[in-house]
Amino acid sequence: MLSSLGTNLMATLVSAIPVVGDDAAHQVQTIPESIVPATRPTDLGWAGLILLLPALSAVLCGLFAAFRVKNRLPGWATVLALGGSFVMVCLLYAHHDPNQPVVIHLFDWIDFSWAEGGTFESVRANFALYVDNLTIFWMLFVTGLGTLIALYATEYMDEDRGKGYARFFGGMSIFLLAMSCLVMGDNLVLLYLGWEGVGLASYLLIGYYYKKPSAVDASKKAFIMNRVGDLGLAIAIWLTWMNFGTLEYNGIFQAVDQYLPQAADGTLATATMGAAPLGWSAHLIPWFLLVGAIGKSAQLPLFTWLPDAMEGPTPVSALIHAATMVTAGIYLIARTYPLFWLDKMSGGGALVAVAWVGGLTALVSATIAMKQYDMKRVLAYSTISQLGYMFLGLGVVQTYGACFHTFTHAFFKALLFLCSGTIMHGLAGQLDLRKISGLRKAKGWGVTTWTMFIGAMWLSAFPFTSGFFSKDAILAQAFVQDGYGYRFLGWLGIITAGLTAYYTFRVWFRVFGGKELRIEPGPEHQGDPSTFHPHPPGWRCKSVLIILAIGCFLAISWGGEEGFGASHWIYGMLAHSSGAWGLPLHWHAGDPTLFGFDPHASMYYVSGTFGVVGLLIAFYFHLYNRKAANNLENLLNRSFATRWLPRALERKWYVDEIYNALFRLPTWLLARVLYLFDRIIIDGVFVGGVARIPITLGRVFQPLQSGILQGYAATMAGGVTLIVAWVVWVWLSKAGG
Amino acid sequence: MLAACFLIIPLVTAIIIGLAPSRAARWIGLLGGLATLGWGIVFAILYPYWSQVPVEGGELAQYWPTEDTWNIVPLFGIELELGVNSVSLLLVLLTCLFAPLTVTASFTAITERVKEFYIWLMIMTASVLGVFIARDVITFYTCFEVSLIPGFFLVAIYGGPDRREASFKFFIYTFVGSIVMLAGLVYVVMEFAAYEGGWLPETNGGVNVWDIDALVTFARSFLTPTEQAWVLLSLMIGFAVKVPLWPLHTWLPLAHNQAPTAGSVNFAAVILKLGAYGVYRFVIPMVPEAVVEWAPFIALLAVIGIIYTALVCWAQTDIKKLIAYSSISHMGFCMLGLFALNPIGAQGGILYMITHGLSSGALFICIGLMYERHHVKDLDRIGGLFKTMPVWSFFMLVFTFVAVGLPGLAGFVSEFLCLLGTFIASDPTTGGYPGMLGPWFGIIAGSGLILGAIYMLYMVGRLLFGPEQIPEHTESHEGHRLPTDLNLREILTLAPIAIICFFIGIYPTPILKALEPASEHMLTGYPAAIAAHNATADAEDSKTTTIDGQTMSFVTND
Repeated sequence: MLSSLGTNLMATLVSAIPVVGDDAAHQVQTIPESIVPATRPTDLGWAGLILLLPALSAVLCGLFAAFRVKNRLPGWATVLALGGSFVMVCLLYAHHDPNQPVVIHLFDWIDFSWAEGGTFESVRANFALYVDNLTIFWMLFVTGLGTLIALYATEYMDEDRGKGYARFFGGMSIFLLAMSCLVMGDNLVLLYLGWEGVGLASYLLIGYYYKKPSAVDASKKAFIMNRVGDLGLAIAIWLTWMNFGTLEYNGIFQAVDQYLPQAADGTLATATMGAAPLGWSAHLIPWFLLVGAIGKSAQLPLFTWLPDAMEGPTPVSALIHAATMVTAGIYLIARTYPLFWLDKMSGGGALVAVAWVGGLTALVSATIAMKQYDMKRVLAYSTISQLGYMFLGLGVVQTYGACFHTFTHAFFKALLFLCSGTIMHGLAGQLDLRKISGLRKAKGWGVTTWTMFIGAMWLSAFPFTSGFFSKDAILAQAFVQDGYGYRFLGWLGIITAGLTAYYTFRVWFRVFGGKELRIEPGPEHQGDPSTFHPHPPGWRCKSVLIILAIGCFLAISWGGEEGFGASHWIYGMLAHSSGAWGLPLHWHAGDPTLFGFDPHASMYYVSGTFGVVGLLIAFYFHLYNRKAANNLENLLNRSFATRWLPRALERKWYVDEIYNALFRLPTWLLARVLYLFDRIIIDGVFVGGVARIPITLGRVFQPLQSGILQGYAATMAGGVTLIVAWVVWVWLSKAGG
Repeated sequence: MLAACFLIIPLVTAIIIGLAPSRAARWIGLLGGLATLGWGIVFAILYPYWSQVPVEGGELAQYWPTEDTWNIVPLFGIELELGVNSVSLLLVLLTCLFAPLTVTASFTAITERVKEFYIWLMIMTASVLGVFIARDVITFYTCFEVSLIPGFFLVAIYGGPDRREASFKFFIYTFVGSIVMLAGLVYVVMEFAAYEGGWLPETNGGVNVWDIDALVTFARSFLTPTEQAWVLLSLMIGFAVKVPLWPLHTWLPLAHNQAPTAGSVNFAAVILKLGAYGVYRFVIPMVPEAVVEWAPFIALLAVIGIIYTALVCWAQTDIKKLIAYSSISHMGFCMLGLFALNPIGAQGGILYMITHGLSSGALFICIGLMYERHHVKDLDRIGGLFKTMPVWSFFMLVFTFVAVGLPGLAGFVSEFLCLLGTFIASDPTTGGYPGMLGPWFGIIAGSGLILGAIYMLYMVGRLLFGPEQIPEHTESHEGHRLPTDLNLREILTLAPIAIICFFIGIYPTPILKALEPASEHMLTGYPAAIAAHNATADAEDSKTTTIDGQTMSFVTND
């Protein structure tokens, strides 16, 4: 089946592939295959359990918290519920015909209509699931990783039993529930529910240690910055109704299908749908979708909330960074790709913007990651950077690569975070690279050491890891696709690949490398630091780490290239979903060329070389000759011309400070000014002035009386008199006459 | 008598409270409140149009038990009529819900002049219910005004340090507003009587000139545009003060802040809805041509209000004042939805009255419960309460997120529909639905979503989270011994509201379907009025048609 699909696609592709360097004006004008209209089977209602199970465990956790349950019940309830919903997703996958999207109606949410009740005459946003391959693909790793992370958390959060344990797992359940709604919803409003729902869950979980002001601030920042993106998404939703008269994917895709031929031959301006013309505002939809995606996926310029999200417990970071939350932006764009494609066909630049956002973010956050000392912070910036790659992939019409990278990234990033979680846990909260060394020599830390090594290899895209393949799929496409500055972005991506390998292995070499074990315990350790012994992770943590490491290996074969035992599973999952939709997904040898070779082949060598060089530099500075790193820094600090660089990197290019100065402070000042204005001008001058008129009059007529209360009374009396007089007058002149 | 029981039950309760000893007052009040709520539920069950579309024509969606008419002043043909449609029924239910809850929220807080307090509370409930079940102008206006009196006394007797100023300002401000409104109403009634040929049903062929629906239908068809504009002005002054619409809002923060808990709850949950309900019942259906002309202006005030007060909220340290200001911001969304003049916005605006009532009422109850324990409502002096009051904090968080408009909770459905309705109500060249507002109103008001999150989370972040800060208790404040966290009575006060918020957030469809005929009825004159307005605009500006092709075309980059 897949091979025939492949041939079909290739037929379309061959005619569509631009020769590199061809005149950009002759843009690809392929009209992709239509998305199959969804059917509405009635026998799949059990799929609702995927949402119901985490909802139930959230409610249960709430009850456990209310009844002050002190055992591990909340944790296990959550693990079971999430595991259950993972099983349900697998069942759904087994039942699903890959060529036929289905809509599973669960119950009405917002559903009313007027007039005839057709498009433009109804608002329908129900609890219904839109299931195609993309949905299932996403849900598999969301629920799968969610379950593993919850299992890990049952051990990690053990000390909080009876305190915040139930609250924590309640938050986890809400997180997974919201993410499932986001991915499975059949309309943009249900997606919005999940979108804000993950915002809520992250707010609750980042602020888990609610007594720490920094945690409270971080949670607030995450929610508010996300809200900025959410507004973008909301506007996109409104625009969608305005132009297509529906909010359901099925209706939107069918409508876009109708418009594509006109978009291709340049007559979209005159296109109409029913009676209503397609407004110019349809052009803005992908742009606002992009704003939404930027907020949730922490891209430039809304990325600063994600590193601060470290304040939450580590499993939460793993959840946010790997499976839920930040991948939502990628999902959104992949899901609504037809709208982006419509825009591209009619000459719009939304996809180019996506690519630019991604490419720049990848580079900028990679530079910041190089100079962070907090292990989790390095990983946080690396997430932003990797998400940048995914955006780049979406922008250069490589949704397959972007989704593949999301998938591989989910595994290795969860692995890395959970590894650093065991370190933080075992070392009393110590995460500073400068204060840990040679951890591999400590007893019981073998699993952490080597699974983290695997995670680091995958993140730095060492040749023949899955991260390597998924990243190259994106970068190669950047060089062969036509678009403004795509090749430049491709080079940015290659440079970033080098930086990635450097900062990743800087962490690993610093923490695990070194001749002897040397640890300063973290702030949670009381007593004499010299007697400190790190306590290694237990079986639950270790088994989760090992499973994830195995997953990293499996991901190679699931999505890898031909010739490495690839089954093209991920490619098959993407095809015939709205994210792929017969677009040029995947380049085979012999089609276009890059540097005279097959683009993938060239990219293997180029980005592979950059990665290995980055790794070697990290090896030199952070393992082989650590003094050299200090010398280099001293050298940079010695001169005024270069002193700013390490500082700017450490202070993340002062983005937070700039935002404070540009947005927060002026708004805060404006708020205070308006409050003064409200009291002095509106209430004082305006209202008080009006109230003073009768007082003044009262003074004239009754010099003995004064005071505000009498003034009011006078107003009242005067007003009533005037009104009564007027009424009588009208009465006499109208009714009487 | 079915509908009249909404007046009789609370008033009888008030009389019994007056006769009974004062230590029984709160229990009688609670019973009376529960009876009112029970009657509301019975009435809701009797209401026949929850799932089916009601009969076409003038009786659209009206549920009007026929015996509820009294010819009280035969000389002028003044006939009282009571009844509900789906909108007023929902507001009745909202008021009934808060009838027992305001009592339980004040159970231990009120220690002096207890009898009077509950009497005023009952009178307030009765008068507000009267407004919502009124089907004639006389009942409507009487109850509208009478509701000021209990409000005045609740603030003046039981309020905070500035209660004198607050109560007078509240009373005079809204009273002056409604006098102006009365003038407009009386004018329309007189026109109507003159048109029909007399006041009395005997002389004018059986028409009750005081009937709101008949009046509205008359005004829509027979008032000239100039008359419509003046009527709009006078009605809007009255209702805008109540809503309140910026810049007529300054009575509100003071009154809400100074009122005792039950007073604030009633103000926020139901009194503000009187204004919005008036807009729904009178302004929009009555004078379509004037509304079409002035909708952008009113919406502009609403948008200014949303942004302005949201920012002002952020500058508050007094929690009660913050929530009071947030009401102004929120009611701006409601006004936007109503003045979007399309079914989506109308649905949103009407539902917004309910959801805002729930969230702000509940927030005031929460603050009241906290104040009863710590006697402080200044964010600089209290904070980090999550540790000692987790149950209370849970409710506080839920209602905060209802107010912020988190999907899955009640606030979202209405806010989303209001903004969607506003956004799409534009000229046909941008697509969408004919209307007078459009994307800019939607986007700017939508930024209220961000500001709303900022000030609410600012409040929650300091009050619930962060380092614990609890002021010293003084001896005089220890009257009633309350547990640190909520007791069962208080949980039972908040839990129903939370459950309803979840329910409306997840399954609003029955309500939306019931509201749909009513909101369409409200918009009867609009497609025609908007088309006429656009035709005039096109005729005046013939250029629009020539650049039409360009404004519609996609950008091409060749």
